[in-house]
Amino acid sequence: MEGLQTIRPELLSISPEQLSALRPYFIIFGGTILAMILSVVRWMNPKWPLFILVLATLFAGIVDSFRLVPEAPLTLFNAMMISDGYSHLFNIVFMASAFFTVMASFRYLDREKLQYPEYYLLILFAVLGMMLMVSAQDLIVVFIALELMSLAVYTLVGFRRADRRSNEAAMKYFILGSAASAVFLYGSALLYGSTGTTGIKEILSFIQTHPTSMTPVYTLGAWLVILGFLFKVAAVPFHMWMPDVYEGAPTPITGFMTTGLKAAAFATLIRLLTSVGYGKGLSITLQAHLHDILWVSAVLTMILGNVVALTQTNLKRMLAYSSIAHTGYLIVGIIAGSGNEMGYGPVVMYLIAYAAMNLGAFIILTVLSSRDDSGLGLHDLSGLSRRHPWLAFGLAVFMFSMAGVPPTAGFAAKYVLFYSAVQANEIPLVIISVLCSAISVYYYLRVMVYMYMRDPSGSPSVNRIPVWSTLGIAAMVFLTLQLGLMPGKVVLAAKKVASSL
Amino acid sequence: MEWLESHLITTTVFLPLLWATAGLLIPVSSQGGKTFLKTWIFFGSLVTFALSVWMFQQYSPSGPEFQLSESIEWLPQLGISYSVGLDGISLWLIMLTTFLMPIAILGSFNAVDMRLREYYFLLLSLETGMLGAFISLDLFLFYIFWEAMLIPMYFLIGIWGGKDRIYAAMKFFLFTLVGSLLMLVAIFYLAYQHKVQFGNYSMLVTDLYRLKLLGAGFFSPQGLLFLAFAVAFAIKVPLFPLHTWLPDAHVQAPTAGSVILAAVLLKMGGYGFMRFAFPLFPEAVATYQIPFMVLGTIAIIYGAAVAMVQPDIKKLVAYSSVSHMGYVVLGLFSLNSLAATGAYYQMLNHGVSTGALFLLVGMIYERRHTREISEYGGITKVMPWFAVIFMIVTLSSIALPGTNGFIGEFMILLGAWRANQTLTVIAALGVILGAVYMLWMFQRVMFGPITNKENEKLKDLSFREIAVLTPLVVSIFVMGFFPNYFFSRTQPSIERFLSRSGAKSQTTAVATVTLEPFNQIKGN
Repeated sequence: MEGLQTIRPELLSISPEQLSALRPYFIIFGGTILAMILSVVRWMNPKWPLFILVLATLFAGIVDSFRLVPEAPLTLFNAMMISDGYSHLFNIVFMASAFFTVMASFRYLDREKLQYPEYYLLILFAVLGMMLMVSAQDLIVVFIALELMSLAVYTLVGFRRADRRSNEAAMKYFILGSAASAVFLYGSALLYGSTGTTGIKEILSFIQTHPTSMTPVYTLGAWLVILGFLFKVAAVPFHMWMPDVYEGAPTPITGFMTTGLKAAAFATLIRLLTSVGYGKGLSITLQAHLHDILWVSAVLTMILGNVVALTQTNLKRMLAYSSIAHTGYLIVGIIAGSGNEMGYGPVVMYLIAYAAMNLGAFIILTVLSSRDDSGLGLHDLSGLSRRHPWLAFGLAVFMFSMAGVPPTAGFAAKYVLFYSAVQANEIPLVIISVLCSAISVYYYLRVMVYMYMRDPSGSPSVNRIPVWSTLGIAAMVFLTLQLGLMPGKVVLAAKKVASSL
Repeated sequence: MEWLESHLITTTVFLPLLWATAGLLIPVSSQGGKTFLKTWIFFGSLVTFALSVWMFQQYSPSGPEFQLSESIEWLPQLGISYSVGLDGISLWLIMLTTFLMPIAILGSFNAVDMRLREYYFLLLSLETGMLGAFISLDLFLFYIFWEAMLIPMYFLIGIWGGKDRIYAAMKFFLFTLVGSLLMLVAIFYLAYQHKVQFGNYSMLVTDLYRLKLLGAGFFSPQGLLFLAFAVAFAIKVPLFPLHTWLPDAHVQAPTAGSVILAAVLLKMGGYGFMRFAFPLFPEAVATYQIPFMVLGTIAIIYGAAVAMVQPDIKKLVAYSSVSHMGYVVLGLFSLNSLAATGAYYQMLNHGVSTGALFLLVGMIYERRHTREISEYGGITKVMPWFAVIFMIVTLSSIALPGTNGFIGEFMILLGAWRANQTLTVIAALGVILGAVYMLWMFQRVMFGPITNKENEKLKDLSFREIAVLTPLVVSIFVMGFFPNYFFSRTQPSIERFLSRSGAKSQTTAVATVTLEPFNQIKGN
C-alpha cells in the first residue's frame, strides 16, 4: 500500500502536450489494431484495403513525426519515455523504412503466394517496437520494446514457411537473439543492483553523484548491456547470425532489417552508451575499456565484413556482409561521438543515408528475384543494363553510394562520419576505415561489371516491375542523390537531435 | 546574358552534363537518329569550347588571383562552400580540356557503334567532372569532382574497351580510389586544423594556405599530410612506381577515352601538386624534393626504356606518357620558376601531342584492327597524309626545336640543373631515349617495303580525320613558336604558386632573367 501512496496523481494523467507528443505512437498502434480487425473480416478479400490502410497509417505517422522533430524534449510516463528530436527523427526512419518495405512487398507476396495479412501486422508491430525502444528512458522499457520488435521480426524472417532456408534463418535468429536479450537483461539487472534504478538518466546521475559505486559489478553490467546491442547490430564477433538470416529472410524483410532494425539498434545503443557514462569523463577505466572494446570490434567488423563480402557471389549475402562492414563504420562514429563537436550526429546522418541506399537496393533485389527468392546470384545480373536500364541505373547509384563515391548520400555520410573521427583524434582508426572502404569498392563495382560490361547469359528473364516498387526505387534514388548533393539540412538536423542526448 | 556573365564558370562546367542529359532523350534506333545524336553532342562540346574562350578573354593575368569567382554556401556547418574561380594555372588546363573534347568526339565518330547515348553521355559528364576539378577553390568540392570523374571513365573503359577491359577498368578505379581516400583523411585533418587555428571552419584553399603545420621531417605531421596528397596525385600523374594502371587503362580504353585520359586526366595529378600539395605543405616539399625528383627521373628513363620494347603501338605511347609525365614531376619539384613553368608547359604539350598520337593510333586501328608494330611497314606509300601528320606529332613528342615539346623539356632541364645536376644529366638521357623509341617505331611502321599484303589497300585519311588532326598540328607549332603567349597568362599564378611553396626568391629572380630568350621570340 505504501507503494501506491507514492504515486502522485498528476503522473497518471496525460497533459495535452504529452498527448500530442505521443500521437505518432497512437497512430501506429491504432493502425495496427484496425489492421488486425480488417484482416479477419470474412465478407471481402482484405488484401487491398489492408495494404492501403497500412500505407496510410505509416504515412500519417511520418507526417506527424516531422512536426515533432523540432519540439523541445518532453518526458512521458513518469520519465520512462522521452519525446525528443532524436527519437522522432529515428521514428521517421523506421516508419519510412516500413512504408517502402510494404510497398515493395505487395507484389512480392502475390508472386510468392504469401499474401497473408499477418505480414503487414508484424511489420507494424516491429515499427512500434522500434519507436518505443528509441524513445525509452528506462532499461525495462528498452527490454519490452526490444522484445516487441524482435519477436515480430523473428516471425517475419520465417515467413516463407515452406522454405527451409527461411525456417533455418528464423530459428537461428530466434535462439541467438533470445540469448542476446538475456545478456542485455542480465546487464540491466546488474546495473539496477549497483545503482538502484533502471532509468537511463538516473543511472548516469547516480554514478555522477556517487563515483565510488562504480564497482566491478557496475562495469560488468555496463558491458553486458552494450554487448546485447552489439549483437543486434551484428558487430564482430557477434555477427555470425547475420549472413544466414539475411539470406534466408524474404527479400523485402532483409531490406527492412538492414535499415529499420539496424537504425533502431544503433539509436538505442547510443542512448545506452551515454547512460552508462561513456564519454562523460566519469571513470577513466570504464571509458578506456569501453573505448578499447569498441575500437577492436570496429576494426574487426570492418575488415571481416569487407573481406568476406569480396568472395560472395550471391547478392543478398554480399549485401549482408556489406551491412556488417557498415556496422563497423558506424561503430567508428560511435567511438568518435564523445570527442567531437557534432557528437553522435554523424552516426545519425549515416544511418539515414544507409537506410536510403540500402532500402533502394533491396527493393531492386525484390524485383529482380525470381520465384522462391532465387536468381540473385551475380551471374543473374549479367547484361541487366540491356534488359532493365533504369533498374540497373538505380542499383548503380546505390552501389556507388554504399562504396562512398561522390556525389551520393554514402559519400556525404562517410565524409561527415570520418571527419568527426579525425576531430576526435582517432586518426589510425580512420585510416583503417578508409582502406577498408577501398576494399569494399571492389565488390560493389563487381555488381556494375555484371550489369553493364557483361552480355546477358542464358535465358534472361524480363520481370514486370510493379508500379509500387518503381515508386519506392525512384524515391530512394532521389533521396540518395539529394543527400549526396545537398546534405546540409540533414547534417544540421542530425547534429541538433544528437546534442539533446 | 548578365546572369551568364556572372556565372560563366558554373555554366561552362555544367553545360556538358546538361547537354548530354538532353542527348539521352534522342532516339537512336535509326541511322538518322544516330547521326543527329553525334552532331548534337559534337555541337555541345563546341558550345562549351566557345564558353571557355569567352572565359579566357575575361581573364586578365595582372588582375586578382582568382577571377570570375562564384561562391555559394553549401554545407556551412563544416565550412564547405561551392566556390569556383579561375587563375593562370587552371586557365590553360581548362582550355586544353574544352579544346580536346570536340576533337576526341569527332575523332571517334565511327569508332563506337554500340550504346551510343550512354557513350556520349559519359564522355560529356566526364568533361563536367574534369572542368569542375580544375576550377574548384574548395577542397571538398574539388574532391567531389575528382572522385566523380572516375565513374564515367570507369564505364568508358569497362563497356567500350578492348579485350581485357574489365580488368583494366577495375584497376584504374581501385588505384585512383585508394590514393584519393588517403588524401581524404588528410583533408579532414586540414579542415580540423583550420578550426583549431582560426576558430572557424573553412575548406577554401586560400584559407587553408595560411595554416601552420608542424614539422619538416619525413614523418612529421606536415610530411605525412604531404605524402597523403602526393600519393593521390602521383597515382594520377602517374609517377613510377604507381604507374602500372596506366598501360592497361590506355590500351583497353576506346580511342576517345585514351585521348581524354592521356591529355586531361593525367594533368589532374600535376594540377593537384600545383594547387594543393605544394602550397599547403611548403616545408614538406623541401623535405621530399630529392626523393620525388629521383622518382621523376626514374619514370623518365624507365618509361622510355619500357616503351622501346613494346610491340604494341598504343602501349608504346602509354609508356611514353609515363616518361613525359616524369619530366613534369622533375620540373615541379625543382622548385624554381623556370622549371615550374616548363613543367606546366609540358603538361599542355603532352596533352596535345599524346592526344594526337592516340587519335592517329585509333585511326589506323580502325582500318586494320591491330596495333602490332610488326603488322605494319611501308605505310607511307599508301597513306601519305597520315604519314606527314604522324611525323609532325612524333617530332613534337621527341621535343624537336620548333615544336611545343622542345620548349617544355628544355625549360625543365634548365631549371632542374639549378636544383640537382646529377639527376638532370640522367634525365637528359631520356630525351635521347625518347627519340630512339619514337623514331624506331615510326621507321618500322612507316618506312620500308610494304611487307603485309593487307596494308596495300589502306585508305588515306578522310576529310573528317584531317579536320580532327589539323587543330592539333596547328597548336603544336603555335605552342612551339609563341610560348610567351602562353607564359604571359600563367606567369603571375606560377610565381604565386612558387612563393607559397617555399621556393627561394633568388632562384625566381634568376629564372626571370633566363626567361628572356623566350620573351624575345615573341618580342618583335
